[in-house]
Amino acid sequence: MKEIAIIGVGVTKFGELFHQSYDDLVRDAAMQAVNDAQISLDDIGAAWLSTAFPEIGVFKGRSGMDLSEPLSLYNIPVTRVSNFCASGADAIRNAVNALRAGECDVAMALGVEKLRDRQPQDSIVKMMVEYGHPFLQKGFTAAGTFAVYANRMMKEFGVTREDISEVSVKNHFHGSMNDKAFYQKPCSLDEVMKSQMVADPLTVLDSCPTTDGAACVILVRAEDVDKKKHHPIFIKGVGLSVSTGWDLPFFNPNHDFLSFEATRVAAKNAYKQAGISNPIDEIDLVEVHDCFSIVELLTYEDLGLCKQGEAKDLIRGKETQLGGKIPVNVSGGLLSCGHPVGATGIRMVVEVANHLRGNAGARQVKNAKTGMTHNIGGPGAIASVIILGT
Amino acid sequence: MSNILSYGFYFPHFHVEEKILSPRYGRKGKRIVSYVDEDIITLSFEAVENCFSKIKNSKAEVDAILFATTSSVFHNRYHASFLADLLNLPKEIHALDFASTPRAGTDALIYANQMINAGIYKKILIVASDIHFPPIGEEPRNSFGHSAVAFILGNEGGVAEITSTNSFSSSIAEEFIYKNEKITYDPRYSRDAGFKHNTKSALEKIKVNAGDYDAVILNSLYAKLAGGIFFKAGFSEEQFAKDTVTSNYGYTSVCHALLQLIFSLEKKNILLFDYFNGTNIITIRVQSTPSSSERVGVRLESEGISYHDYLTLRKAGNFNSLKYDTKEMFSSEMMQEREKDTLQYLKGLKCDSCGTIYYLKSTRCKKCKCEKFTDVQLATTGTVYTLTSEHYFPTSFPPINMLVIDLDNGGRITVQQTDTMYPENNKIEIGSKVKLVLRKMMENDEKPNYFWKAIALRITN
Repeated sequence: MKEIAIIGVGVTKFGELFHQSYDDLVRDAAMQAVNDAQISLDDIGAAWLSTAFPEIGVFKGRSGMDLSEPLSLYNIPVTRVSNFCASGADAIRNAVNALRAGECDVAMALGVEKLRDRQPQDSIVKMMVEYGHPFLQKGFTAAGTFAVYANRMMKEFGVTREDISEVSVKNHFHGSMNDKAFYQKPCSLDEVMKSQMVADPLTVLDSCPTTDGAACVILVRAEDVDKKKHHPIFIKGVGLSVSTGWDLPFFNPNHDFLSFEATRVAAKNAYKQAGISNPIDEIDLVEVHDCFSIVELLTYEDLGLCKQGEAKDLIRGKETQLGGKIPVNVSGGLLSCGHPVGATGIRMVVEVANHLRGNAGARQVKNAKTGMTHNIGGPGAIASVIILGT
Repeated sequence: MSNILSYGFYFPHFHVEEKILSPRYGRKGKRIVSYVDEDIITLSFEAVENCFSKIKNSKAEVDAILFATTSSVFHNRYHASFLADLLNLPKEIHALDFASTPRAGTDALIYANQMINAGIYKKILIVASDIHFPPIGEEPRNSFGHSAVAFILGNEGGVAEITSTNSFSSSIAEEFIYKNEKITYDPRYSRDAGFKHNTKSALEKIKVNAGDYDAVILNSLYAKLAGGIFFKAGFSEEQFAKDTVTSNYGYTSVCHALLQLIFSLEKKNILLFDYFNGTNIITIRVQSTPSSSERVGVRLESEGISYHDYLTLRKAGNFNSLKYDTKEMFSSEMMQEREKDTLQYLKGLKCDSCGTIYYLKSTRCKKCKCEKFTDVQLATTGTVYTLTSEHYFPTSFPPINMLVIDLDNGGRITVQQTDTMYPENNKIEIGSKVKLVLRKMMENDEKPNYFWKAIALRITN
């Protein structure tokens, strides 16, 4: 398989961006990436637009045209990608495959989500309340569908509420060094645990906020990298797996609520492509999908950073903090950056690329050579893992 | 003569104490109130399940269902037909509603008895349920209690034999609704020209022999007056059954006479007098007295509620939480109909190869990829595998507990916990035993929309 390189990255400020429209966000991220790659828009041969929830946002992102119109980028194939929280990573996967297949020479993957034009309870909560099956899972919000994992983890592995909340403390500390994060304020364990309960045992500070934001990468085949212009980061492995459905996790008697099979499958495939056998030693930083703090903890195990049941030891030993053995979410994660769903996976790739390029500023992971991103979408149904290297 | 093959009843989990509704009078007693997700349909469903749980007869043998209520939730639609479908009774069943007066409950019993005696039907299900709230402020003068009661009548031996039934119509009503307005006659007139006249002529006509009965149930607004009339007819006070229903549960309207009958089944020969806008007299000979543990079937340790929560409950069906106004929730009659076997009747699929039982349909077994399944009936009891409490899902009494439940005999289902007005009294954890009950799902109550929820399992029989 041909090696693929990222030659341009761009990411907008994440937050409640009342002054920027969906189109503004597309332009902002795209032009940062295009300028970083030192190409012109017309060099792009195909593009993928990742927006997960047009209908609970501003009704934009239903098709590829919502990328073309703000960029005036016409007469090329543009496809909208929708795969819940793995949408952004899936856009990159599609771009990689098109480059390998020779469909185009320069590909753009752009993720954007505009959720904060509505009140939070009018978007994600409303989706769970008013849409979908009238009976099945009715009563859950997104937080609840992960809180049931937390309670089982606490029962089985002796994970404590403090362990879960420490993830939030760590990521908010990291986020305080990221000027593009939604929240840039560190918080204490006490603040996390005493903030308002959302779905027991997860509090508001254990949950990521709905967010506006966009991120973009420009990709080419490695052979087309211009060594004089570009500072390329190479895609070493891409794994994506749909391993269960929307309802099945809550109705499958064999599901243990201790692990996401999708993550394990996606990671296995990505590791194989990248030739990684011992991730904790071979990978220098990881961006994990911490939509709720418990998910990061559980994912340590699914990614093979530790054995099952030992995630609590990684967080207790501060091994995943900046300066630890394997820093996780040095960007601040979803908990600090926020979660514009379609943009998140690409934002993570941009973050890791910045570290591998050595220009991540105060939160730079020293001597980072290999990094990994992870997303989990739906109720643990869809996972993506991307491994990047220099 | 027809026989009572089985009986069942259901009282909601909550009560408001008399002293909370009328603190100035210092009365003792409780009034049972339904929870926000209950209505006469769900109450009836539970009473019928309680009724069938006591006998071996299957629902497939039922020929007719008679439903009595004075608090209809439907107009232009038979509650009996709707309930028959929810209960998975035979499609060709004869379904009828009895309405308009609290006497409709015993009327349904009389009609069923006559249909069986005439040899038209062999087994008839009789269900009665009422949910009334008096206008706010009028509670001290209007007793109320929410309940449902069910009987199965058949043509062969059972708990009790119905030995005679009589009904005497009266055109005079004490208090009634005309064009949505409440109308009260001069009480002297309705009492004397209505009640006294009708009761006396009924007693004269059927010529009851007072000595034949060891329990006389006098269900009437004029129970004391009725006692006087029966006394004159040769009955003694010791024969009069004490109305324990009103003090323990409140006045249950269409259920009241039938509940009193159930609570009198330890006696041998019962005369049931039911007056409201006419007289029904039913005599019953008890054949096998059920033990008291059988009679006290459904959980009785109800939870008392505050006056504020009583007011919130009265908004039943209007579930706006503090943070969120619920609008029309997606609901599809077509979806409910085509997924009825799963959603309503709890039919699951068992993998022919590895034996895994699934609640939801699938093409292949997730575990072993086998494509062959056999239908299985899932249980309504189970154990909590994991759970959470949702503080942001809109509901009148947050949080909503979501329970992932492993059903006894296999299958997993995820549903809301209910009857959780006071979460601290309904603590549930991994490993807790729970029971599935049918409740309303629709937050805005615009369409009938019922699904399973779970309650903490209490000792029932």
